[in-house]
Amino acid sequence: MKEQVRLRCKELLSAKRVAAVWGLREKDGCAVPFLFQNPEEIDALTLSPKAPLSFTCRPSNETMLSVLQKKMPGKRIGVVARGCDERALIELAKGERIDLDLIEVIGFSCDQAQAEECVCSRPFPQNPVAGDKVKGIPEEKAFQGLLAMELKDRLKYWEAQLNKCIKCYGCRNACPMCYCKDCRMEQSVFTKIGWLPPEFPLFQFVRFYHMSDHCIECGECEKACPMDIPLRKITKYLRSRMEDLFDYHPGLDAKRKSPILTTVDEDPVKDLPDELR
Amino acid sequence: MNENFEPRIVGFMCNWCTYVAADMAGVARLKQPPNMTAIRVMCSGAVSPLYVISALKRGADGVFIGGCHIGDCHYQRGNHSTLKRIMIVKPLLEALGIDSRRVRLEWISASEGVKYAKVIAEFVDQLKELGPNPLREM
Repeated sequence: MKEQVRLRCKELLSAKRVAAVWGLREKDGCAVPFLFQNPEEIDALTLSPKAPLSFTCRPSNETMLSVLQKKMPGKRIGVVARGCDERALIELAKGERIDLDLIEVIGFSCDQAQAEECVCSRPFPQNPVAGDKVKGIPEEKAFQGLLAMELKDRLKYWEAQLNKCIKCYGCRNACPMCYCKDCRMEQSVFTKIGWLPPEFPLFQFVRFYHMSDHCIECGECEKACPMDIPLRKITKYLRSRMEDLFDYHPGLDAKRKSPILTTVDEDPVKDLPDELR
Repeated sequence: MNENFEPRIVGFMCNWCTYVAADMAGVARLKQPPNMTAIRVMCSGAVSPLYVISALKRGADGVFIGGCHIGDCHYQRGNHSTLKRIMIVKPLLEALGIDSRRVRLEWISASEGVKYAKVIAEFVDQLKELGPNPLREM
């Protein structure tokens, strides 16, 4: 699989169809993000699901790719992307952070074992260069245990879980979709500065709500969390609700706007009670 | 159901419709429970989900959001946003373990003072049944 991706990158670079390829490079046994500009360098290109291409740059609202696009105006950049990376690219383009027309996605699929590890429901990009489109894990698997609990127990559970938070902002920093310059999680109205644990559940509620129409289920928030808070139980549940209510999947269609931003006539709400029509 | 329990409701009301309806219900001397703390907002679309959760966290047993009927919004599409937001906020509250019936969205136009009084009475009964908000003590 690695060879196929390398071959494709080499082809694109030598044919000058892209000015550079943004991918992971193997160095001293680690995979680090790197901008490949010569076809000879491509031999060091590696694929590692454990080391994702982080798209965000803190502390600013820039993403790594938007910085690259500013430095190389008008030039095409190839991006070696997994399914989640590609969805992140599409969502970033919708948020007008990057120009999708100048990006060539070199997609590859994850294998079954990796999909199971990430609990990923769509472990493949739209047109993979390498790898087969393996079956994803249904999203219910992540949150069915939560829904089986009584409301009272759920609240107790989340109180215990969310009070572990040490307010490191790791979930936000690792998230490719968290690109607001003025983050609500930092505003003193909702978060008392210098106070631990952050007020339950306001602090995480902000992110959960903001992720409802953005979450591309890469799982970086949970991987980044040093206190092992099961954040994806809720983000995945909200994703499935977005599917039920609006038939909306973030990161699949670059043309479709988030249903929260449109009117009821453009994106009708399913199963709406009559009195709210 | 605790008969002595009096729920506290924070109501976000749209300046153009629901607030006028509430005013009208008062002027017409319609009987209505005194549990409501009204907050006038220029549009129900100005109600952030964070206001809802902040109110619940900081002492409210229920949150009421009143706006114009779909299509009647003074700002064309403000209440469309409200509707979609609340449709997301409710499952989020449920997932966190808060009963989503504590949040109520209603479209009440300026002439529907009677509907306003009826809805509030219903909401208070509902909250009495649900009991005090568990989030308040956390």
